[in-house]
Amino acid sequence: MTSRPSHIGAHVARVEDDRLLSGGARFVADVSLPGMLDAAFYRSPLPHALIESVDTADAMGLPGVAGAFTADDMTDVSPFPDFDRNARPVAIFPLARGRVRYVGAPIAVVVAHDRYEAEDARDLVSAELEPLDPAVSVDEALAADAPLLYPEWPDNIVIQSAVTNPDAMAAFEGRTTVSGRYQVGRHAGVPMETRGVAAEYRDGRLTVWTSTQFPHIARTMLSYCLPLDETDIRVIAPDVGGGFGVKAEFYTEEVTIPWLAMRLGRPVRWIEDRREHLISACHARDLTLDLEAAVDGDGRFRAVRGMAIQDLGAAEMYPYGFSPAFAAVSQITGPYRIPHQSVGVIAVATNKTPCGAYRGFGIPEAVFAMERLMDKAADRLGIERREIRRRNLLGPDDLPYRTSSGAIVDSGSHRQAFEETARLTSESLDRWQARLAHDPHVRLGSGVVSYIEGVTPSYFATSGHWTSFDSCSVRMNPDGTAVVSVGVSTSGQGLESMLTSLAAEALGVGRDQVRIVMGDTDRTPYGLGSWGSRSTNVASGALREAADVVMDKATRIAAHLMEASPDDITVQDGRFSVRGTPGASVTWRDVATVANIRTIDLPEGVKPGMQATASYEPPGIEHHPDEFGRLNGCATYTNASHGAVVSVDVGTGKVRVLEYIVAHDCGTVINPQIVRGQVVGGIAQGIGGALLEKLHYDEWGNPMSTSFLDYHLPTATEIPNMVVRHFQSPAPAMPWGAKGSGEAGIIGPAPAIASAVEEALSDLGVAEITRTPITAPHVLSLVTSSVSAGRREERENSR
Amino acid sequence: MKPVRQPAGRLPVSMSVNGRPVELTVDARRLLVDVLREDLGLTGTHIGCEQGSCGACTVLVEGRPVRSCIMLGVQADGCDVTTVEGITPEDGLNPMQQAFREHHGLQCGFCTPGFLTTLAGVTADEYPDEESVRELLSGNLCRCTGYEGIVDAVMAAWGRDR
Repeated sequence: MTSRPSHIGAHVARVEDDRLLSGGARFVADVSLPGMLDAAFYRSPLPHALIESVDTADAMGLPGVAGAFTADDMTDVSPFPDFDRNARPVAIFPLARGRVRYVGAPIAVVVAHDRYEAEDARDLVSAELEPLDPAVSVDEALAADAPLLYPEWPDNIVIQSAVTNPDAMAAFEGRTTVSGRYQVGRHAGVPMETRGVAAEYRDGRLTVWTSTQFPHIARTMLSYCLPLDETDIRVIAPDVGGGFGVKAEFYTEEVTIPWLAMRLGRPVRWIEDRREHLISACHARDLTLDLEAAVDGDGRFRAVRGMAIQDLGAAEMYPYGFSPAFAAVSQITGPYRIPHQSVGVIAVATNKTPCGAYRGFGIPEAVFAMERLMDKAADRLGIERREIRRRNLLGPDDLPYRTSSGAIVDSGSHRQAFEETARLTSESLDRWQARLAHDPHVRLGSGVVSYIEGVTPSYFATSGHWTSFDSCSVRMNPDGTAVVSVGVSTSGQGLESMLTSLAAEALGVGRDQVRIVMGDTDRTPYGLGSWGSRSTNVASGALREAADVVMDKATRIAAHLMEASPDDITVQDGRFSVRGTPGASVTWRDVATVANIRTIDLPEGVKPGMQATASYEPPGIEHHPDEFGRLNGCATYTNASHGAVVSVDVGTGKVRVLEYIVAHDCGTVINPQIVRGQVVGGIAQGIGGALLEKLHYDEWGNPMSTSFLDYHLPTATEIPNMVVRHFQSPAPAMPWGAKGSGEAGIIGPAPAIASAVEEALSDLGVAEITRTPITAPHVLSLVTSSVSAGRREERENSR
Repeated sequence: MKPVRQPAGRLPVSMSVNGRPVELTVDARRLLVDVLREDLGLTGTHIGCEQGSCGACTVLVEGRPVRSCIMLGVQADGCDVTTVEGITPEDGLNPMQQAFREHHGLQCGFCTPGFLTTLAGVTADEYPDEESVRELLSGNLCRCTGYEGIVDAVMAAWGRDR
């Protein structure tokens, strides 16, 4: 095929926007079936307790109530399988059996005519709970006399890998060492649409609508838990109102609601409320990295060693809440030439909501620690903070490069992106200094950080079960339009638009001739869903293989119809032509009509029909880390540098991000607007996590962040204008050279802002910022303690 | 034992929704958003927090933006109510909706109807610059876009350079 106008890189409107803008989209809460009942959960009010008894009699007495159930009723339900043989089994069960381990754990469920009545009845459920001492922090959970969350275990450790890499240890001999303890606080994805499940059991088949990022995995998990074969289960992910990893977990409610529909013979729906979401949807981060670096006098890092300590919460989350800690270790050295690493992982169960996935998946934690350590080493050695990065960054001659943490960095623009960001950030700081110079309370600073992010990852390291493939089916209708169905599904990223462009490109049809089908296990081939910045790569890999089969056949039919050689056939905008023979052409409609209807016109040896299905396993991925935790767990790696320009009000401690600069490289950009939207949206979430968002617990394990009044999402006034520059280093092994842009933006803000705040306050000599969120009280305490330390020093000097 | 709540009374409500007269009888405690979504099938209005803080459920009552998750259906008796369906032309999109589409002012789209109804209830003159536009938008939460595309869309729809 010859060159023709391409959809790749073009500015094209999203195909999903019209329905979303007009109120015509269909989210789970919009699914309504005749006779549908609403469910409400009775959740544990205690962080740690034994369940003595649960009384649902009063609840059952209310009018409109169809049933009230506890774990004892679920005799035909199996617990989630425990796939990861290195982790202690937690045997997640849909309703609590005997013990609750966090405030919010589901104990009973009530089903009624509508949600008002269901919640009335839920409030009448009473449980006799025997309180147990909680272990609220890792330190408490690891204490010798710690209360055990799982009494069958000797301690509260869910999984650990203590590594000792002798090469790394040797590199510490005789070198300057810099170390720190860096903590990324507990926060979460918090999509605007909460979770929700609706289910109907009819004619021996179960249909489940759920707000999930992986409908096929949800179906397989349902078949493990319910007495049904997979063929009797259909899972539909309709429009999903944001996922961010929160919906790449398989939740107990996704078993309970279908089970209720089967048990009651009526459709049942549950739409999570926001309080429930903040205490029972997965939490994330809450990772501490103890990290130490061996550094040469010129600032070159020679080795890092340490430990990733994951506060897992109650551990009842699948896929596993400890997986981000392993991901962090596997990319700990980032875009830097650091020859050796030795970083272990320990994941500890505590009496808090279980941790799970959130956009970035361990990499924001790794980069926060690594970049903070870079700044610290620079300050210690008297090297400018940007200069020390220049001395360690990978250059073009280094590529491809296998990092000491295992990642194979195949391509990238690490130095270019850094220099561009550093330059733009300095210019921005100058502009803001000129504008705000008159304000005596405000100090300005900037910080620049760099990172790589693995995309299109192995799921085995995360799930202990699934690997990394996905599928696509291409079907040409007789009129020449295309139905393209995929195993990935969308939660707002614009995948329908991306795949529409790629299908149009591969099939030589217009974008308006393509219809993408996703999010329905009955209508799509098996796939693992959308997470890990994988969807464009895996779906397009499968799409290209399927389209090749279809195009080969279409070319042969077109050639036959025009009495030409298949080698001379070209296709564009739904029309096949013969190279060098102007005027000769047939349409996709002509070809597809022959294939599907007038099969008597097929060339000899060509079978009827015009469809193909292909599955695609991204190349080069390792699924098991080696003995030192090293793993090339991803098909390719994006890179970026971020610069934050901030103001700090020394009177209040308030940090304001004035401008944010990013130079980003995710390989070939297929849709520039969507990529920019992903990057900017990710940065906004990163700023939220850096400055505002914290899922706070009191010392007894009570969740204190249970509404948007005490869990602060950034609004339009907190998010600054952003300067975005794209570099394009195509991924050599990926279809179309794309890398995946979904998660990267979220990684930079915390370390960039921390660095900028320190620079702003540098003349006060404040202590190092080692944890997020960097709230106003936190900054104020740094300022106050540095001021009082200064006064003490003055007093002592004057004596 | 906890007190058993008495079933709420039912009351007649008559209002105009998207220009059409509606008469129905609802529980006194029923939220306006549930009346719109469940009783009238207008599912374009979304529920994001049920606490009045995220703005996803914003509708216009008598032309002003209102959080329908903290307003009772009976309180809308006698009122003109407009939802996202009501601000959408029969054919195509209104200029603000088109600007959202053009400037990537939405990703998952769950919060979008609340932004659109908020914007439909104000006049551009009240918000003369970007700072005041951001202030206006700060009553609605979006988790996907970082607000950039939304601010761009508003500025474009109101004929301003950015």
